[in-house]
Amino acid sequence: MGLALLSLVLMFADSRFDFLGRVRYYIAIVVTPLHLMADLPSRTSDAFHNFFKTRTDLEDDNLRLQDEMLMLQFKLQKLDHLDAENQRLNELLKATYIIDDVAVRAQLLGESPDPFSKRVIINKGSNEGVFIGQPVIDAHGLMGQVVQVEPLTSWVLLITDPLHATPVQVNRNGLRAIAAGTSDILHQLMLENVSITADIQVGDELVTSGLDQRLPAGYPVGVVSSVKNDPGQSFANIKVTPSAQLDRSRNVLLLFSSAESKAARAAAKIEASGNALQPTPHVEGRQ
Amino acid sequence: MVDISGKSRNIWVIVLSLVFAGVLAIVPIPLWLALWRPDWIALTLIYWVIALPHRIGMVAAWLVGLLVDVLEGTLLGLHAIVLMMSAYIALTLYQRLRMFTPLQQSLTILMLIGAGQLLIFWVQAATGQNTADNLAFVLSSMTSALLWPLVFVCLRFCRRSFNVG
Repeated sequence: MGLALLSLVLMFADSRFDFLGRVRYYIAIVVTPLHLMADLPSRTSDAFHNFFKTRTDLEDDNLRLQDEMLMLQFKLQKLDHLDAENQRLNELLKATYIIDDVAVRAQLLGESPDPFSKRVIINKGSNEGVFIGQPVIDAHGLMGQVVQVEPLTSWVLLITDPLHATPVQVNRNGLRAIAAGTSDILHQLMLENVSITADIQVGDELVTSGLDQRLPAGYPVGVVSSVKNDPGQSFANIKVTPSAQLDRSRNVLLLFSSAESKAARAAAKIEASGNALQPTPHVEGRQ
Repeated sequence: MVDISGKSRNIWVIVLSLVFAGVLAIVPIPLWLALWRPDWIALTLIYWVIALPHRIGMVAAWLVGLLVDVLEGTLLGLHAIVLMMSAYIALTLYQRLRMFTPLQQSLTILMLIGAGQLLIFWVQAATGQNTADNLAFVLSSMTSALLWPLVFVCLRFCRRSFNVG
């Protein structure tokens, strides 16, 4: 009976307050080996595949990768130039320029066993400096953000979870909106509260707007897949397919924004000196 | 069969079976299959409650549930209370359950795990963790009930060959 009461209190505390994070953190030490064990079959099969690759396969891979690298370097040349130009323009506008984000590679360990909750677990935790709210991307776009940190692992809430909403911007015209996750079992996003007269078309690319001051600006979120305007409704029904391969990516990137850490340090300094000035953690250069 | 007075023997078999169930519960499977994933941990726990009610009771179920909450990233205490209630029902029923035919046992398991899933669904819906608007969560209790005879036979084999008591 006491235990039943205790678990009720725990559930209430866990849903309302933060302090049970510590408890979870220590229990996780016992539980993490299970995640590693569950990941073992796929890792061994990967290792098996790598070990038994033929020479021609490797040569093909090599050629393909070299081609890809050439194309990417070609794109990068232009990007460097554009980046410099962008910074010059921002300086003219007296805005601080966006500092490049630092990314650290992590691997997916598993996903939430509950098919309705879109969370994944990755193999980096507080030991590697992962923090709550940290953005996670894959090679194609934004995946989600860290919601729970354990010593060796951490849980990432995907952008398609019904509890997650991402502030986005249409790449074509800068229109701002909020892309919320859906309770749909497939990975899909909905644009919330967009009026039926808004200029959004199928195929529009959406990027993060950075207005939440948490997710950095300019990362691809998704592509508009359908726009339905019901004259009886005041808002359009807009569906978005996420750019990131949420159900396929195994390699993900954790973003450490150098600007953020600098802002945090500056905040600490200002607090220490008793100054009430609030530093802006992230300045948007896009608008 | 039940040695009331003696010390506990080979408890590690129980721990190992629960660890194995835990791995099965989180091993990544395709989305369409995930809906049908049986509740391995509840099945294993219920077996041990029925087989060794004097060793595995509500406290053990509560502790296992707490670990499951951390393992699956659910609300802390949710699986704890659900597994404890399942253990409580299993404890009150274990003498009858042992006499039941496999079909009757499976039906009881369906009710037990279904009630647990329903409770989890309610709490998650109340706290905004789950916004599914259908009853798809009952599929998991159906597969659990279907697989119960298999789990029962396997774990009984383990218990007998390692003389767990």
